[in-house]
Amino acid sequence: MTAEKHGGNSLSESLTDPDGILSSLFFSSLSVFLGLASAGVLMLFLGHSPAAVYRDLFSFAFRDVYNIADIFAKAAPLILTGLAFAFAFRAGLFNIGAQGQFYLGAVTSAACALSFPFLPSWLLLPLCAAASMAAGGLWGGMTGYFKARFNANEFLVSMMSTYVAVAIMDFLVRSPLREAKGEYPQTDVLAEASWIPSFLSGTRFHWGFFLALAAAGAAWVLLWKTTLGFRMRAVGKNRSAARFAGIREKNVFVSVFLVSGAFAGLAGFLEVNGVQHMVVQGFNPLLGAEGIGIAVLGGAHPLGVVLSALLFGALKVGGLLVTQTSSVPSSIIAILEGFVMLYVILSFYLRHRLRRACARRRAAAGGEAP
Amino acid sequence: MILEGLLARAVQMSTPLLLGALGEVMVERTGVMNMAIEGIFLLGAWAGFTGAYITGSLSAGFLCAMAAGVVVGVLYGWITVFLKQHQIVTGVALNILAAGIGIFFYRVLFGVPLLPLTVEPLRPLAVPFLSAIPVLGPALFRQNILTYLAWGAMPLGWWVLFRTRAGLVLRSTGANPEAVDAAGISVERVRFGAVLAASALSGLAGAFYSIGYLGLFSNDMIGGRGWIAFALCFLGNWNPLGALLGAVVFGIADAAAITLQTSGIRMVPNEFLIALPYILTIAATLARKRFNVPASLGTAYTKEEK
Repeated sequence: MTAEKHGGNSLSESLTDPDGILSSLFFSSLSVFLGLASAGVLMLFLGHSPAAVYRDLFSFAFRDVYNIADIFAKAAPLILTGLAFAFAFRAGLFNIGAQGQFYLGAVTSAACALSFPFLPSWLLLPLCAAASMAAGGLWGGMTGYFKARFNANEFLVSMMSTYVAVAIMDFLVRSPLREAKGEYPQTDVLAEASWIPSFLSGTRFHWGFFLALAAAGAAWVLLWKTTLGFRMRAVGKNRSAARFAGIREKNVFVSVFLVSGAFAGLAGFLEVNGVQHMVVQGFNPLLGAEGIGIAVLGGAHPLGVVLSALLFGALKVGGLLVTQTSSVPSSIIAILEGFVMLYVILSFYLRHRLRRACARRRAAAGGEAP
Repeated sequence: MILEGLLARAVQMSTPLLLGALGEVMVERTGVMNMAIEGIFLLGAWAGFTGAYITGSLSAGFLCAMAAGVVVGVLYGWITVFLKQHQIVTGVALNILAAGIGIFFYRVLFGVPLLPLTVEPLRPLAVPFLSAIPVLGPALFRQNILTYLAWGAMPLGWWVLFRTRAGLVLRSTGANPEAVDAAGISVERVRFGAVLAASALSGLAGAFYSIGYLGLFSNDMIGGRGWIAFALCFLGNWNPLGALLGAVVFGIADAAAITLQTSGIRMVPNEFLIALPYILTIAATLARKRFNVPASLGTAYTKEEK
């Protein structure tokens, strides 16, 4: 309803039309640096030296093979929730509900593994993956359908549907899927046949990371090599022009949210079958919000999303260890992400101004030439 | 007895939704969505608690909450109105940041207390005679001061918006910014001012949860209530009185959930009751057919360039 008018904003312009990879890299790095600096100022309130905290953070993240491998394990689901936001954003749509799609994907994947523990791995793993994508995709697709059918505000519906998804997951792990002991709101440990094999043994780096990379590749192909992608980007750039060109935007709404939700749902499969091997009530509560930050930092491009997710993965591994070994509270990670996002937005303004100044200078130079 | 409690609680729980929705109506009428509302609710809850705990005065707490709202509003307004950046993305960033800052500074100031720190929340003020009316009396006339203010502010907001010159300027800024600009009024200043006012109201709304009602602060105390206030704005068709009607319905849903959870009656799973307000929001969004959307909502205003 309201998103229709966002086409001309300078942010969506810069976010989806970067002026060169080098300039994007420069401004993204600058935003990350300023974000680290601003969060560092807050650490002074706790009497911590930001330099020391960041030294610890990065030395923790790259301390040994286990921690470096953990960066990839942490980045894998972040790539997928980042893709979920970026993919919809390319069509000018807002999927703010990746957290809920992730949770339903996670709980469906776990239900699948718990119901068919007797199946061999080669059958059970694809089954769980497909189930998680179907659950996330259908839950996300519901938002797209509501937008197409009732002209509902997709931002609001996807946001609200997350709270409903959380309630559904809470109910499932409290009642039908609850562990046999019945002590905590969590499921039993899944059968080993349903675990995603690890890539580096003795670490949490599992093959799911490559599944996430494949998803990023698939998003790229979908966006730039298929008719759906062309239609999506047309709707994202200028909705009324797309309509005049005969593109049925309602179909685009539903397809985009189906795919976007499936990405987030697959993140549930990676976390449950790859890392946790069970579902615990309220785990990974920030995955959806972090995905938005990653998508914005990565310029809503699959490659940018992968790189940003690796950076966030490193910040999470190091940040978690810092907060465990010192009195720096874990909320610093959210603050860091918030600051980085803000600086990215401000850098879009700066880049917009720079582009205009360049264009004006060029025009002036052109005018003086005989 | 149960009905009386339910009604009283519904009127009480609608208070922050009213304040948030009123601010949102005002700001959206000028063409800007206040997408930072959820973060402002949480930061307001934190600032209200902190102010009240340190000074020992609830009024100081409410002032702190409004100030915290204005601080976020200045950032949000500067980026979206003056720098003309994307409202939804900016809102998402500020929501993450504001929530993080509130939680961080609670820890900085109070450490990790074994028991949650508490303040004495607002006390109900009974209106003489009227509060003695059976059933309705306690529900409507034995509330705290903020609830009376919020309910009074809605008709006042309607009057300002539709019956005063200031209201005309607000509405024109959203409907036809070019005309406002031609009349010599700065579109950007009107919008920025509206963002600040709405943010102050949302900060106050957040503080209701911490010091108006519970008397403590917790990280997850808002849980999407800011977004419900945001939704009430357009469910109420950008009209304070429409938002009032919506807030009452949500107040009843909230109150029914709390009453049923504490009563020990187990007809439906608790989780369903918790999800009810959100399901209701989605359902209401779908049921609403005709909207009176401010024409320039969500778009930055740029003067034509020479």
